[in-house]
Amino acid sequence: MPDVNAAAASSSKILSVRDLKLHYFTSKGVVRALDGVSFDLAPGETLGLVGESGCGKTTTGVALLNMPSPPGKIVEGSIQIDGAEIVGMRDHDLRRSVRWSKISMVFQGAMNCLTPVYTIRALMLETFREHAETARLEGAEAESLLKHYMNMVGLPEHVLGRYPHELSGGMKQRVVIAMALFLEPKVVIMDEPTTALDVIVQAQILNLIKALKRSLNLSYLFITHDLATEAEVADRIMVMYAGKVAEIGTNQQIFGHQGPVHPYTQKLLSATPRLHKKVSELAFIPGAPPDLIDPPPGCRFAPRCSFAKEKCRSQEPRTTALQPDHVVACWKAVEDAEYARA
Amino acid sequence: MFRIYILKRILYGALMYIVMVFVFSTLFNNVADQTQRSQIDEQIRQEVRTLKNVTEQQLQKYIEDRRLAKLNQYHLNEPLPSRIFWRAVRTISFDFGNATNLKASNGDRLVLGIILEALPKTLILFTTEVILTTVLGVALGLYMAQKPNGLLDRVSSGLTMITNGLPAWWLGMIAIMIFSYAVPLFPSGGLHSNPTPQGLAGFIDFLWHLSLPLLTLVLLSVWGTGYLTRNIVLSNLQEDYVMAARARGIAERRVLFGHTLRTSLPAIMTLAVLGLFSSIAGNIIVEGIFGWPGIGKLYFVAVQANDVPILMATLSIETLFNMVGFILLDIIYGFLDPRIKVGGKA
Amino acid sequence: MNVRDALEGLRDFWREFIKVKTGLVGLVILLAFVALAVFGPSIVPFPGATDHWRDITFWQDNPQAAPPEWVNALPWVSKKGVVSSFLSNPKLSDEKQESGVVVRTCLFTYPFSSDEPPRDVVVRFEGEGQVPVDVTVTRPDGLSAELYREQLDIAAGVLQRVSVTNNCAQSIIEFVRAQNEDLASGLDADLIKPTSILFSRIDPSLANNPTMLKGAYTITVTALLLNDQSRFQNPTIVVSGHVSGLLGTDVSKRDIFTGIVIGSRWALIIGILTSLITVVLGVVLGVIAAYFGGVTDWLLSRLYELIYLLPVLPFLIVISAIFKPSIWTLIIIICLFFWTGPYKPVYSMALQIREETYIEASRALGSGRMRIIFRHIIPILLPYSFAVMALSVPAVIVYEASVSLLGLGDATIVTWGQVLHDALGQGAVISNLWWWVVPPGLTIALMGMSFAFLGTALDKILHPKLKTR
Repeated sequence: MPDVNAAAASSSKILSVRDLKLHYFTSKGVVRALDGVSFDLAPGETLGLVGESGCGKTTTGVALLNMPSPPGKIVEGSIQIDGAEIVGMRDHDLRRSVRWSKISMVFQGAMNCLTPVYTIRALMLETFREHAETARLEGAEAESLLKHYMNMVGLPEHVLGRYPHELSGGMKQRVVIAMALFLEPKVVIMDEPTTALDVIVQAQILNLIKALKRSLNLSYLFITHDLATEAEVADRIMVMYAGKVAEIGTNQQIFGHQGPVHPYTQKLLSATPRLHKKVSELAFIPGAPPDLIDPPPGCRFAPRCSFAKEKCRSQEPRTTALQPDHVVACWKAVEDAEYARA
Repeated sequence: MFRIYILKRILYGALMYIVMVFVFSTLFNNVADQTQRSQIDEQIRQEVRTLKNVTEQQLQKYIEDRRLAKLNQYHLNEPLPSRIFWRAVRTISFDFGNATNLKASNGDRLVLGIILEALPKTLILFTTEVILTTVLGVALGLYMAQKPNGLLDRVSSGLTMITNGLPAWWLGMIAIMIFSYAVPLFPSGGLHSNPTPQGLAGFIDFLWHLSLPLLTLVLLSVWGTGYLTRNIVLSNLQEDYVMAARARGIAERRVLFGHTLRTSLPAIMTLAVLGLFSSIAGNIIVEGIFGWPGIGKLYFVAVQANDVPILMATLSIETLFNMVGFILLDIIYGFLDPRIKVGGKA
Repeated sequence: MNVRDALEGLRDFWREFIKVKTGLVGLVILLAFVALAVFGPSIVPFPGATDHWRDITFWQDNPQAAPPEWVNALPWVSKKGVVSSFLSNPKLSDEKQESGVVVRTCLFTYPFSSDEPPRDVVVRFEGEGQVPVDVTVTRPDGLSAELYREQLDIAAGVLQRVSVTNNCAQSIIEFVRAQNEDLASGLDADLIKPTSILFSRIDPSLANNPTMLKGAYTITVTALLLNDQSRFQNPTIVVSGHVSGLLGTDVSKRDIFTGIVIGSRWALIIGILTSLITVVLGVVLGVIAAYFGGVTDWLLSRLYELIYLLPVLPFLIVISAIFKPSIWTLIIIICLFFWTGPYKPVYSMALQIREETYIEASRALGSGRMRIIFRHIIPILLPYSFAVMALSVPAVIVYEASVSLLGLGDATIVTWGQVLHDALGQGAVISNLWWWVVPPGLTIALMGMSFAFLGTALDKILHPKLKTR
């Protein structure tokens, strides 16, 4: 079976992550938050990132900007955005040419990611000034660009003159989305953009995201723990567990009648109640994610997996492509597939 | 919106001040009464001396009439609440009467005059101290926040602990011993040299005299301000919007100053200046030690001369000063934090 | 909460506490002060010194404004001054003669090794009746000088003093005369320094530039007890030198170390008492305001603001100047200002605790309000209030010292602030008497520092981890 690494060299990928390892060097030990994560993102594609809290979703997001929060460091691996290698790039170059201009991020909890002492306009203009492409913009030109993006996210123009605390949660989220877009980056990371909002606003924001995706042909990395949202927006889904990739598949492969092949993904799906199905009992996954300072040998999900065998507990499963576009790291899944083929 | 905020604060301050003056008036009622009565007697004695050609009887009548008139003027014959009330009113309108023993440099006995003469000197010392301490302290704190647990951080934190319990006036005594007597670099006190030079030389002479007390005060307080700044900035550095600013490609320097410091500013300003206000205590005695002729030294001298009117007046002025400072601080804080300035909850 | 749980809790706390280094430093310093206050009185140069700080006659034989002893050990001091010492426990021997007279001999040994003679040598004793007294000094060069021979009429209970400088000038000249007629004739009883001659070589340099005779000197004090009513007891000798004591002496000849010892006793009392009262007041009021809410809350909050806005020291000064309170009244007044410190955090914490469900449950079970306050809320806040207690001590000590510095302190006690008041008023700053100025301020700062360290450490450990909503 073809190994996923061989398929990587395709130049049509806008984002290419290979074997990314990000560790936090704390006083209690080295936390291996990301331990060999690989995935691709094609232009115009939305890749959804799912997993429990602490599995490494947000860490992946900030890693792509090469901004791990201290005491974190990227120790190994490669991140290629639009052909440029991010890992090892100097901070100065990252600021000038990568951050925000090539890849931007819509943050989790838009509540607090706007500096409270500046107006929206001031914040946006500041970002313009720091980037070569937009630094030349002055006065009326800049203003019209700002207004354009306000309109794009469905906000009235007077929002520009407001301070963050004067805006509602939904408005702030829209502002943050606008700010992520106005330098027209190729990749936008969305980190739980709807989690802190109420249901109605959530729906509005999701619609906005989908509309923008269509109109701007952006690639999204959509991070959330909410499977239902993923099902709505993502083209492909990547499931992470304990700092490693469990399964990557298309929306159809994961949510379709075939269903996912990794035991963890299966459990995740069954833990989510469906409106159209009668649910007598909600399944849950017993146990807790492993300690990332000293993870168990072998498959990290083995302690909680009902299918775990000897091999699972001693050997780490390799990421294998069951089909092009469907990748999984699980001994059972691979065996089942071989069995089915035989 | 903000204007209303300012107004409310000022009203609040005024109200509090009035309450305090009433408290003082009640507490010091007896002593103040006595002092006033003896001052009245003294005054009448003075007047009597100028009278000529009067009989004993006329003299007595005169004395009694005058005394009654004076007592009524100051409401001293009325029951307690009335006396308290009128004294408070006088204090609020800065009618402090005459000093018992002290005089202003022009020989005037009016307490208000004496105080007004001393006040500017205190203001100069205090204001320069506040400015220097704040500027240096904030800069120090910023450095410390950028390299937490670095050498500077640990040394400064240690110094903060030590200077916490160190009386400013004692440091002043040591400073004088070292820098005015052992190694004569600075004058040991006073405002000017004797004879006072004129013009630019006079100004420099003044600065030279200002140096040692100023240095002593600043050296003591700067660590506290630095430590405060460091903590506030450090906690603000963890905030999401700082990370968001970095993600947007903003240069680190701008993130530190424009985002972190700017947001920390209201808190830093308030706490730093508040801290300095509470060190007025140290300032009072420092003035005494350095012979700096301000309100502090006035306290010193008044205590030694047991001049009650001056003591009470200086207390009221100090309190007013304090109050004005607090209210000003509230207003500045509100101005610096848009969350208050433009309404909404902070 | 039974005894075993409490002990267990203490053990856990101690284990946590040791981890914080600054806390340990603070504790060590504090214990040093406690030791000073307790054991200090036994190591002062003069027994009973700590009770006689203001007694002028007690200190009369001490040198005035003398630097500490250890100044001699400093490398840049060339001429080692005489260390003031107190000779007691002489070798006593009584010899009864056939006439019934008892000859009491007291032998003192004094090793002299300085480059300068002592300022004075004073023989002190008590007695009663007609007692002839003789003082003779035997020098290392074998020569004996009879310094004093008088028949004294001693009153009981009155300290008798024989000062070499004041009483023995003539005898000294006689002593010199016995060795060298010429030298003696050049000496004038009013102009010579008797101790200088007593402790120098008898040679031509005697008059202008005497050479010190170093060695062991024996001072013999002989008293004749003529009858049963005669008494002669407690002979001691004070050698008044140029350096004295651990911390030198002040202008009133008082040993400064003694002042520091007494001061530490009072500093501890003031600091601990004030913080105790303050915290109790603050905690109780804070909890009451938070729990009862309404008018009580409103009133207490206004009171809090009022006190918070008042400038403390100016007020303290004026109150002290006008009413001249005792130290206890002063402590109470300070407490009235300082309760606002613990009040605020306790208030906000109590507000949070009030919303906890177990409080609700308690109410549902029928617990009275007071019971809830004292059984549930205060025990959580109690450990934390120890931290607050420690943290408020430095400021209190400085306030008291400030008030004392102005001369407004309680004159019946001795505090470090008062010592500094004396120093300032009697020109220690101008005359560079650093040993008078530095130690009291240093002790103020050190004690403040120790409480600050302790408080910070306690705060870190004991701060209640309340749920943040």
